[in-house]
Amino acid sequence: MDTTSQAVSPRQLAWLRDELPRWQAQGLVTGEHAALILDQYRAVRRAGLARLTLYLGAAFVGVGVIWLVAANLDQLPPLVRFLVVTAFWLGATAVAEVLGSRSAAGDGPASPTTGAARGLAALAFGAVVFQAAQSLQVPAYEPALVGVWAAGALLYAYAVRGVAPLLVGLVAGLVWLLWHVAENGGSGLGVVLALTVAAAAAAGAAVLQERFAPAEFAAPWRAVGAVLALSGLFAAAVPDVTAGDFAPDRLSWVALALGVALALAAAGLSRGEARLEPLVALAIALVAAGLVLWDPGTRAGDRVGLEDWLHAGVSITAYVGAATCVAVLGIQRSSQRLTYLALAALVVFTTFQSFAVFAQIIEGAWLFVVLGLVFLGSGYLFDRARRELTEAVAA
Amino acid sequence: MNAPTSRPARVAGAALLQLALVAGVVSGQLSARLTGDEYTLRVEPLDPIDPFRGAYVTLDYPDLAATNDGIAGEPGDLYLPLVADGEVWAAGTPTRARPADGPYLACDDRDWRVECGIESWFLPQDDAAELEDAIRDGDVVARVRVDDRGHAALVAVTVR
Repeated sequence: MDTTSQAVSPRQLAWLRDELPRWQAQGLVTGEHAALILDQYRAVRRAGLARLTLYLGAAFVGVGVIWLVAANLDQLPPLVRFLVVTAFWLGATAVAEVLGSRSAAGDGPASPTTGAARGLAALAFGAVVFQAAQSLQVPAYEPALVGVWAAGALLYAYAVRGVAPLLVGLVAGLVWLLWHVAENGGSGLGVVLALTVAAAAAAGAAVLQERFAPAEFAAPWRAVGAVLALSGLFAAAVPDVTAGDFAPDRLSWVALALGVALALAAAGLSRGEARLEPLVALAIALVAAGLVLWDPGTRAGDRVGLEDWLHAGVSITAYVGAATCVAVLGIQRSSQRLTYLALAALVVFTTFQSFAVFAQIIEGAWLFVVLGLVFLGSGYLFDRARRELTEAVAA
Repeated sequence: MNAPTSRPARVAGAALLQLALVAGVVSGQLSARLTGDEYTLRVEPLDPIDPFRGAYVTLDYPDLAATNDGIAGEPGDLYLPLVADGEVWAAGTPTRARPADGPYLACDDRDWRVECGIESWFLPQDDAAELEDAIRDGDVVARVRVDDRGHAALVAVTVR
């Protein structure tokens, strides 16, 4: 096997083979150079179905182990149950490490088996946390347990530079954030600030990952930032979300300050257009907070006042602007995931706002006709905007 | 790459830190179990299921402060001194300042309810239903270990 060439997908190699003659014709490279460039790469077919099966298997086993913890198998004493689950976690970590060493010894693409094993180890760590808490009768519905699971999974992800445990950590972290905020937020403003400032921090983490390795962590952080920013702005646009009872404790203020500091530091440390990402996310946080603090207060019964319409108009404009930013980011980063996320967010937001606004003045079948027209209109405009953005970004 | 920063070393370090996180999140109960003394309290049932840890019985303690009604001071840390009341223990006058000596329970009343970390008893679902019936019918007590910082851990729930 040629160990000096770089392994790429057959599609990438086919693209290079198509491009090289064109570069030769343009005089950019000679025939000899083209051959040398081509020798630098070799096609390695990635096992897509095998990868999917492996990751699904790891997810099923991991969730199953957590489910077994929840089943509270009293055939084993609590301490033995904890030791069994801990041994399983350490075993999964050790197996992942052995597989990772073998994969690193070769020069092929990262092995999906290693990724699946690492994902399983990250899920199994959650089982350890929950089993420890169950064995020690820690009171139920404690969000800190999910927070510890997320922290442990992220720690492991950075130690092994594994994307699978990073995804586990980010999802668990999202669950913890939403749970913690819902339980302790106390007010709509608290929830909106937590979501949008966390979004800015995640956007900052994404650009920092690009600047400093591992760069493959940037995409998951960026996706989390986009989900949080759009969710936070969505919540801010809901008319009933207000700043009443907003009284965060000291820890919440510290967390908010750290989030803002991380976003600003990331903007300072990154280069070029990347520095805009955390700054735009911070701007979204400010707009979201402003929308919550702006209470039209003119609603009397079912009547909608002029200021309510104005509030709704500004909310929609801000949301369309934020979704457009995410779509542009998706085009810039060649991430269809982000573009689809922006579209999905816009559809959900439009539906919600349509019900909130039109349902008060239109009834029955006409509501569906109007909603359908709103969908057709927004879909057409988004598709057109996406095409124009793609051309503008490519230019 | 030198040995201390090799991947096995990083993985081992990460695993140790992960174990420390687990120990940290259960530190109150762990400390109470390992270093605390045991007290017996009367209990009443409530119920349901935790998505990650399964069925449990929510316990109410009639001899402790259930809510912060009538307790002076801003909600936050709350300490319940334990006073012997026959075969069981009950709460004396709640205080916002940590008592100079024990035994006492370190609790939290930021929500309306006073929580001392001993409100849930996890057990298989069938057993949970049986225990609830037993608690409704009989005189059930909880054995709780309490360390010198007021951390409490449920050790057993039994019918007297």
